[in-house]
Amino acid sequence: MKTKKLFNFSTSVTKENIKEVMQQAIALELATIPTYLSTYYSINRAQDQDKLYAKLHAQLSQSGERTAAKIDELAQELKLDILVYSNKSAALIMSVVIEEMLHLALACNVKQAVCQTAPDLLGIGKVLTFPTQLDGHIPEFQINAAKLSLKQLTTFLQIESPEPFKDPYANEQLLNTVEYQTIGRLYEMIIKCIKEDFPGPYNYRPQLLPPENPNRPRPYYSQNSMNTVHYDREHNPQFANADDSGGLVGVHDAQSAIDAIERIIDQGEGKSKYKQHTLIWGENKMPVPMDIVEGKVVFWEGDYDDSGKEPAHFAKFLEAYTLGGHYQQKFRNIQGLDDFFSYFVYDTDANPKTADYIASGNQALALCSQLGNAVFAYILLMIEACYHKDESTQYDLFIFGIHKSMIWLLSGVGNQINQYTYTKGNQAYKGALTFEPFSFEQSFLRPKAQIMSLVDQLAKADPVNWGWAIKSENYFPSLPDVGLDYSIEADIPKVPGTPYRHNH
Amino acid sequence: MSELVTKELHVCMGLNSCKNAGYSGNNDCAGQGDCSTAVGHPCHTLNACKGQGGCGIFGTTEELCHPGENDCRYQGSCGVPILSSRFMAQGPNKGLSVWQLARIRFEEKRIKNGESFGEAPQQYGPSDEYVNSIRGTSGVDYSSCGQSGSRSCSYISNPAERKIAAAERVLKMEEESAKKLPESLSNCQPKNNGH
Repeated sequence: MKTKKLFNFSTSVTKENIKEVMQQAIALELATIPTYLSTYYSINRAQDQDKLYAKLHAQLSQSGERTAAKIDELAQELKLDILVYSNKSAALIMSVVIEEMLHLALACNVKQAVCQTAPDLLGIGKVLTFPTQLDGHIPEFQINAAKLSLKQLTTFLQIESPEPFKDPYANEQLLNTVEYQTIGRLYEMIIKCIKEDFPGPYNYRPQLLPPENPNRPRPYYSQNSMNTVHYDREHNPQFANADDSGGLVGVHDAQSAIDAIERIIDQGEGKSKYKQHTLIWGENKMPVPMDIVEGKVVFWEGDYDDSGKEPAHFAKFLEAYTLGGHYQQKFRNIQGLDDFFSYFVYDTDANPKTADYIASGNQALALCSQLGNAVFAYILLMIEACYHKDESTQYDLFIFGIHKSMIWLLSGVGNQINQYTYTKGNQAYKGALTFEPFSFEQSFLRPKAQIMSLVDQLAKADPVNWGWAIKSENYFPSLPDVGLDYSIEADIPKVPGTPYRHNH
Repeated sequence: MSELVTKELHVCMGLNSCKNAGYSGNNDCAGQGDCSTAVGHPCHTLNACKGQGGCGIFGTTEELCHPGENDCRYQGSCGVPILSSRFMAQGPNKGLSVWQLARIRFEEKRIKNGESFGEAPQQYGPSDEYVNSIRGTSGVDYSSCGQSGSRSCSYISNPAERKIAAAERVLKMEEESAKKLPESLSNCQPKNNGH
């Protein structure tokens, strides 16, 4: 399948093209979010442990080689392997998604301040389709919206690679790939340009800011949630993100712009001045995993971000890849078991399309997909609107709109859509979010009204599973009503205890 | 008249201001209510009224430092009731009890206003079983949102042993939280309403 280019990449960053390059950087950050989310939603991270144990027990009993006690012991051990890994891999991915949302905001802040131009997220959303690629990355590699697998984690490692890497299949390509780059290298070029040509101070324009000033409205960025928590084998909670891993940065001069960009590099790839794991291809053309000692991967000093407590994105994904490969091999070596990932990963197609769902005749699935795409586009619209609004309105938009949409509405659809099945060719699949562009311009209705129309249709098509959505005021109906011109209909609940005004 | 007008709405056991303002309506005084009266909601941004956000699972550090102190509808940090097993997922008090922080804030407020209060029915807040018994339900999971699995569980195969192990682990968290409560309070900034 051919991928669609979002940008024509330039080999250098200049004061003439920095506006386009920053928009390109924003597109890179944005593209990672649906990529990682599509994999996150493919994971059943909290399944019924008794049913899982029974399944494993039955499979282990088939060979007749083990005693009852041995079967019980092994089934319990394998159950734990599955439960702990599935929960952990999901938490790691979600912890990266949250920080990618932060990176998106940081890149938008830089563009808003340095280029004096608001970010265009909807424009990117209109052309972002899967499979995609990181435009300008050498070598280009295909990025799928796909379920969790070692192959998908390999793609994640390529995205977050701290060092240039060679494509293991390069000799099969016709491209003249004379050099290799990373996202960090692109940001380094941007930093150089800012230092030389944009010293600042920059004129004030709205940005997403940290809550450093007590006179400002309350904060809305949070590194952790219960979805970044996972449990170890003794069921003790573990937290995937460190609180002091860094949040939003206001950009007002060259140094603060550089600080914002360095935060993106640091959290994504890690600190390269220390020994760190990098993307090295093994003989099987798959990444070389980390070492495992007593069931845990061995991190190196440079694998962490500058807080020293939290592994950078690359190291998190390498950990998930390493442990996933370890368990996959362990399960392969035991007769009667299925593939390790099949126990907790929904069998979804890579890069699914709403058209596939429509063709299958599953109307509820098709509507679910459209609703997911509309909510994702609406999240982009709300973030974009923040760059045209005062801080109090930004706070309202985040708490009432973006948090609700990310945690409940998009997740609600993402976690429910896999309950539907459809057939493509001769293969049956579970439904998945498609992350296709959704154009609100296709209707004269305001975007929220279009979302509510889809909710209404879905509730009618599948009243058992979606009837609640049209009735429950605190979910879809309570979204703020943001127009494509960033106008906000006054239905955001007013906050009586706050003195700031809502300048919609 | 709406229930929202006639009832004091609070997020959990021991956080009521008045006599008979607990869920069952038979408590003698403030702080002795048996369960939440807030309009039930599972989580962050889904609460109906001011002061109805629970806490701990989703939200910012500041929200998690002030359980049940949200200013507005849809601003709540997390679901109600706040079970004793619930811990904070974010901020300096990560991993520590939400209910105990909510209770100490309640006590502070009462003391500041010169108001009396009684002991909560359970020292560290309500368990799932307790809430089920109060509400006349059986086996309902009141642990609220989040996809990472039950916070009061364990992976032991035998269901009876599993329950014991989970209870022991939750108790350990509760005791550690009680010990660290002064530190937990000092970790939190006063509530910032943008003033």
